[in-house]
Amino acid sequence: MRTNRARLAIAAGVAAVGLLLSGCSAGASGNSDPTNVDPKGEIVPREISWLLSRPADGGVITAMEQIADEYAAKHPGFSLNLITTPDRPSYIQKYETLAAANKLPELFDTDATPFAQKLAKQGKMMDAEALLKDLGVYDDYRPAALNYQRFDDGSLYMVPFEFQLEFFWYNKALFQQAGVEIPKTLDDIPAMCTKLRAAGITPIALDGQDQWPLERYMAYYPFRTAGPDYVEQLKKGDAKFSDPTGEQAVKWLSDLGSAGCFQDGFSSTGYSDAQASFTSGKAAVYNIGTWELNSLATDALDPSVRDDIDYFTLPVAKDSVTAANEYVSPSGIGMAVNTKTYDPLVRDFLSFALKRYPEVYAATGALSPTTTVQTTVPANATPLYQRAVDQANDVGEQTAMPWDTQLDPTSNTRLQQELTLLLQGEVAPDEFITTMDGVIADNGPKAFK
Amino acid sequence: MLPQRSRLSVLVFLIPPLALYGIAVLLPIFQSLYLSFFDWDGISPMLFVGIDNYVHMFTGDAVFWIAFRNTLGYVVICLILQLGGALIVASLLTLLRRGREVVKTLYILPAVISTVAIAFLFQRIYSLDPEGLINQVLEFVGLGHLQQAWLSDVSTVLAAVSVPEGWRFTGLYMLIIYAALLAVPTELEEAAKLDGASWWQTFWRIRFPYIRPVWITTTIIATTNALRGFDIPYLLTNGGPGQSSELLTTYMYKTAFTSTNYGYASTISVFVVVECLAAVGLIFLLLRRKADA
Repeated sequence: MRTNRARLAIAAGVAAVGLLLSGCSAGASGNSDPTNVDPKGEIVPREISWLLSRPADGGVITAMEQIADEYAAKHPGFSLNLITTPDRPSYIQKYETLAAANKLPELFDTDATPFAQKLAKQGKMMDAEALLKDLGVYDDYRPAALNYQRFDDGSLYMVPFEFQLEFFWYNKALFQQAGVEIPKTLDDIPAMCTKLRAAGITPIALDGQDQWPLERYMAYYPFRTAGPDYVEQLKKGDAKFSDPTGEQAVKWLSDLGSAGCFQDGFSSTGYSDAQASFTSGKAAVYNIGTWELNSLATDALDPSVRDDIDYFTLPVAKDSVTAANEYVSPSGIGMAVNTKTYDPLVRDFLSFALKRYPEVYAATGALSPTTTVQTTVPANATPLYQRAVDQANDVGEQTAMPWDTQLDPTSNTRLQQELTLLLQGEVAPDEFITTMDGVIADNGPKAFK
Repeated sequence: MLPQRSRLSVLVFLIPPLALYGIAVLLPIFQSLYLSFFDWDGISPMLFVGIDNYVHMFTGDAVFWIAFRNTLGYVVICLILQLGGALIVASLLTLLRRGREVVKTLYILPAVISTVAIAFLFQRIYSLDPEGLINQVLEFVGLGHLQQAWLSDVSTVLAAVSVPEGWRFTGLYMLIIYAALLAVPTELEEAAKLDGASWWQTFWRIRFPYIRPVWITTTIIATTNALRGFDIPYLLTNGGPGQSSELLTTYMYKTAFTSTNYGYASTISVFVVVECLAAVGLIFLLLRRKADA
């Protein structure tokens, strides 16, 4: 009995105890000026840590491990401790708890979220623009890659390590079988789904369990009809879902639901099951970024579908204000530099690493966030690989921001829940709009004040 | 009556566990209570808001009430499976002449498997695409039209996340109740049977009153366990679709660690503590009164 109550209370009070006690330790010694990117002093090698949220065997970690080894060879005593939590929600909890305890390591990953903006305002993150300029690498970066990391006021506090393009991968054979064409506008998608359904084909494979893939669909329509500003205003409560832009977007989503665009039970389908549904030739469309090039454009792909796979980019809408070559092109979660622990060593390592990184990273077959290197296309790639890589040079200026990095976390959680219900037909578009406008009015303005 | 010195030594030995209990249990409860009067995101200064969090919770937060209702549903399903299932299995076990140990071990096995493994297991069992165990069985027995994604349907998801938790601990409670049943003197039952009592009468008039103290304890453990149920629903559906399987605990967790609203999360946690105490009080009241009657 007692232990039960105890555990409950402990679960409840995890935040309380740890954070309350350690919250008082703020203002410890060390650097305190986020713009002091070139501190004076000697470089003393030690271990530095990077708290990150990237796949353990992915390109970024592999490249950084190699670079850290090279640096350590010249600076005995140096080592880079990479602590990765690839599962994003778990990572965010870890990082926010450490931030609250003022225990963040030298380097840590974060998106341009309201929480990160608070940290930046408190001077806890180094000014990345000043840092990159001082290191002389600022102009190497793709503007789109840097813009993705910026806060709404244009300030830059995170360094990108990737560049990705998000495509709609599709199966040509299944399209032919159902007699459908690549959708020209977003409004063609519901009709496409209906036809594919009628032919007994799953129209779009969706990883509903992780929430963000469905939330992308929320971002598409407003990005086309109103541009990137809509979500910037919406999140602060300055724009509403009940505005024409929002209403159209919600109606479109509801149409996707009633046309049965996603597989039955999509909300409990995980990442790999959704992908398998597409790569096994069951689903016709799969919306994912170039980080999956290795599975979708190499001979890792099932031979039975290998020649049928192609991609198209985000369709436009009638009266689009954004161009066809503007879509979701994220530069991944960014890396922030902790002000408190910034010293000549951290600067020297970053100087070495950021200059060396593009070459090492591009050699893994990935798109570098800089324009200075050519991506090495792997030997086992299909022709699609090179095409996707080349597409990166044709990306427009404006990028569709994923909404999960934009909204305050409470509104975001609720939006993800309500989206599933809307697509499943459990709530009507009107109800969705009323609920979400209410939730954002309660939480948005507070988070961005 | 213990001599003075022994009493002192008893006290000396009791203090460390008491102190531990105070630090690990009471302190966090009071700290949660304290935090529940603040608006705090962990990195900004704490803002005293009085009882605003409580007012919001009771009057302005629809999700809280949905989560509360779901929690009650979750508790009911868990209790039926755990206590009902345990009682039935334990009674059957007393009838078994051979292989009791094997059956007991098999039943208790789920309780020692890691929760994460259980969640993955059930994700597969409930799955529609690829077809999971339940849907395959339905197809096999000719009930293919009942196939569905059990974790995606708002009308089945709460039951679907409750069943693994219930199933998991049935064996444990079975063991406790089985031990209690073994202690029922056989002479009493035999005498009752000779007097012509039916199986039900023997059970209800003799066996059950005998195991009532154990039953109360088991009910309390199972209820408080279910009230703080978190891991399996969190891992299986994360409260979704929508809020259909959101429990107070998962909601509290999200409020604290996703929304970084530590003040409001503490308010919910205070409610959970009060709710557990109320449940225990209620169980005592109901089952004790019956015992006195």
